[in-house]
Amino acid sequence: MNFLRAILSILLSLASVSWAAEQDVIPALETTNPAALKEATRVLEEEIKLAARPQTYVLIDLEAKAILIKSRGVELHHLPIESWSASHLSQLATAYRLRERPPVSRRKIDPVDGAEQTPISLADMPTMFTLQFTPPLTIHVLSNADGNPWQWATQRGRAWWHRLKSWGFTLWTGGKPPSSPSLHLIVSLYHAQSLAWTVTEGMPFLVRRATTP
Amino acid sequence: MKRIFLSLWSGLIGLLLVTLVQSSGIPVSDASTVLPAAIDPALLHTLQVRYKTLTKQLTQLMPTRPYILVDTARNHLYIKRGDQVMMDALASTGSGTILDKPGDSKGQWIFDTPRGEFTVQSRLTNPVWVKPDWAFIEEGLEVPKSQADRLEPGVLGEYALGFGKGYFIHGTLYPRLLGKNVTHGCIRLNDDDLKSLYRLAKVGTPIIIF
Repeated sequence: MNFLRAILSILLSLASVSWAAEQDVIPALETTNPAALKEATRVLEEEIKLAARPQTYVLIDLEAKAILIKSRGVELHHLPIESWSASHLSQLATAYRLRERPPVSRRKIDPVDGAEQTPISLADMPTMFTLQFTPPLTIHVLSNADGNPWQWATQRGRAWWHRLKSWGFTLWTGGKPPSSPSLHLIVSLYHAQSLAWTVTEGMPFLVRRATTP
Repeated sequence: MKRIFLSLWSGLIGLLLVTLVQSSGIPVSDASTVLPAAIDPALLHTLQVRYKTLTKQLTQLMPTRPYILVDTARNHLYIKRGDQVMMDALASTGSGTILDKPGDSKGQWIFDTPRGEFTVQSRLTNPVWVKPDWAFIEEGLEVPKSQADRLEPGVLGEYALGFGKGYFIHGTLYPRLLGKNVTHGCIRLNDDDLKSLYRLAKVGTPIIIF
């Protein structure tokens, strides 16, 4: 009897080890929460389609508060999200393609001048930018403006401008404001620039919605 | 009266104990007390099985052999097998600068390292650089007509790994520039790292660049 119990406990521990290893694919997953599991399986179904092709894609994980740069299911880079807010997230149900990457000011080589041009680096990348997708999704990336009142004011100004535009649209058309999902992400300055560097035109994005309050 | 008071008192203590156990995070032994009443165990099981199946499917897409990973923002090249880092080397990648094509008002070269997934297509020893048009134009020189005038040995190091469209991982004459975005799109390494990479990488080894 004791022998059987020992074998059973070994088998159970092996099963839990394999479960734990697989759980890492979706971090911070509550496996007894049906809503969390439903969302995780939805994301996994989409991710399998993306990972089957030779491409890099982005998974915005609102539950684990992280932006993951991935390829073939492997996490290449991890950018933590400090805070986020969203609207119409319930409509998110697919992969989104980035329409265009944030603008980069590139230096031009002048052969006549002969002077060496400074190459672009992470520091040249924008610290706040908006990403537009197909099907419609808007992601506003803002960097943490700690200790920089000017940046804080500019970011707030932009956020208010977007709201004002939405209200203006409603008043002008007399209808409902545009109901496509939008996401505001606040990350550190370095991570905002990293994301701006990494994204490319046509890059697929997935969003895992948070299921815990 | 005394009995009523006692039963009320014991009920209150019981309630207090249950609250304490729940708030302390001590696991409750009976599984049915962990799950809220609204959760359908059959649905939960189905979801767990589905999740596990999908996780397995995604895991099967992950590279099992060693692969090369290039981080162009931080200028690092890694050789990885699963999560294990087998090599971490300082590299130089594309400068992102642009050069106008002469006689073509709209045409220009953009010196970016391409992003995405590639494979090692060729492994060369003592490679000779065949200088493209931009290399002459950038220096204000005329593009030669003869192919022989384009050949420049010794500038790419001892080895080169080609990954398509003229892009290579190769050596450098300027190791002080490693860690910076200074190239025309190729990926440069120092001699030792290049040698290790050449030994580890085969034709077909995946290269992921982001």
